[in-house]
Amino acid sequence: MLRLEAVSKRFGRDWVLRDVSLSLGRGEVLALLGPNGSGKTTLLRLMAGLLKPTRGRVVREGRALFLANPPPFHRHLTAKEHLLYDLAFHGGRGDWRGALARYGLPEDLPLAAFSSGMKKRLALARLELLSPDLWLLDEPETALDQEGRELLLRALDGARARGGVVFATHDRALAEAVADRVLWLGAA
Amino acid sequence: MRAEGQKAVGRGGLGVGRVWLLALRDLRLEVRDRAGVLSALSFLAVMLFIMALALGPEEGALRRAAPGVLWVALAFLATLLSTRAFALEVEDATLDDLLLTPGGKEWVYFGKLLFQMLLLFPLSAFALLLSALLFHLPLGKALPLFLTLALGGLGYAGVATFYAGLLARLRGREVLLPLLLFSLVVPVVLAGVRATAGLLEGVPLAEVASWWQLLLVFDVVYLTAGALLFPVVMEG
Repeated sequence: MLRLEAVSKRFGRDWVLRDVSLSLGRGEVLALLGPNGSGKTTLLRLMAGLLKPTRGRVVREGRALFLANPPPFHRHLTAKEHLLYDLAFHGGRGDWRGALARYGLPEDLPLAAFSSGMKKRLALARLELLSPDLWLLDEPETALDQEGRELLLRALDGARARGGVVFATHDRALAEAVADRVLWLGAA
Repeated sequence: MRAEGQKAVGRGGLGVGRVWLLALRDLRLEVRDRAGVLSALSFLAVMLFIMALALGPEEGALRRAAPGVLWVALAFLATLLSTRAFALEVEDATLDDLLLTPGGKEWVYFGKLLFQMLLLFPLSAFALLLSALLFHLPLGKALPLFLTLALGGLGYAGVATFYAGLLARLRGREVLLPLLLFSLVVPVVLAGVRATAGLLEGVPLAEVASWWQLLLVFDVVYLTAGALLFPVVMEG
């Protein structure tokens, strides 16, 4: 459901990625590991279609959504409002109230008052509701407490069943526990 | 809120429903933030007041200068609003999420444009009333005057939305936007000033109508070009 053919990306004169080729099948989870600045986030953004490769080709099947780190939300909206707008923009239907309850989040608190961990939980609830074929996650474990981490593992299981997952992380244990394959990115 | 969202979803979450929903969401964000609307209002009031002070107190001079002053104020106001339309996304880093919604990106362009018009129309009416007070303008033709401002504002905002989207991720966008924008919207401002001056001087509506037609043509051209090019420039 995702194929990268000799993808390279350059910002100005600096090559961030060179000749990355990979494929991801349905039901597969791929972890991206590597030091800061190795191009993990850039690679995820290329996979999502938010960036165009300088060279090479990205082929995607189905709908992909990208979860940035930290997850972006409008601070003046509540969690309920955000999910309802997202559902409407994406043309989806879903039990937003159930999703918020599952992730232990309040409905009517402005997101400006959410902690980083709560925002990460909301981002996972949002992805679950919008149900894309391909989940692209940038350091999804960051800021999550133990309970949040268990929710993440459950969400990744669900995402695997619906399509595929690529996530970037610095947590080698998480990568080894969840991913079918690990791609190590060194400095470009 | 729930009804709004579900109505758009009921229509497939596409097209007009999404455009309205995005505009209303941005309006809600703007009202809760308050800074944008308040700064636009105070900017408008201060600018008109300073110009009236600088050009007055002779009534004839004030009336002659009024169309130009009004349009300069509206041009700056529309530029400010177009920057706000994308600042809402840039400040909260949500632009990528918006661009990952399924389907074309034209709806984002029209949603952002509609948001600006929802603010620009009442602010234009406010500017007209304040100008009438400060520049001794007759308001016998208030409706045709408002129509002129609306037609001009739409064309102006159509171009401004496109450029504001194009520059949204760049540093220094507040400097670049007016530079890129003003060269393209000169015809709209000129036609707007001539139509406004004509109405204030009591020129028959049939003669002013030719300027309205010109503004309408600019609106159609700018909005069509904006909608077609916006998805292209928003791609990484």
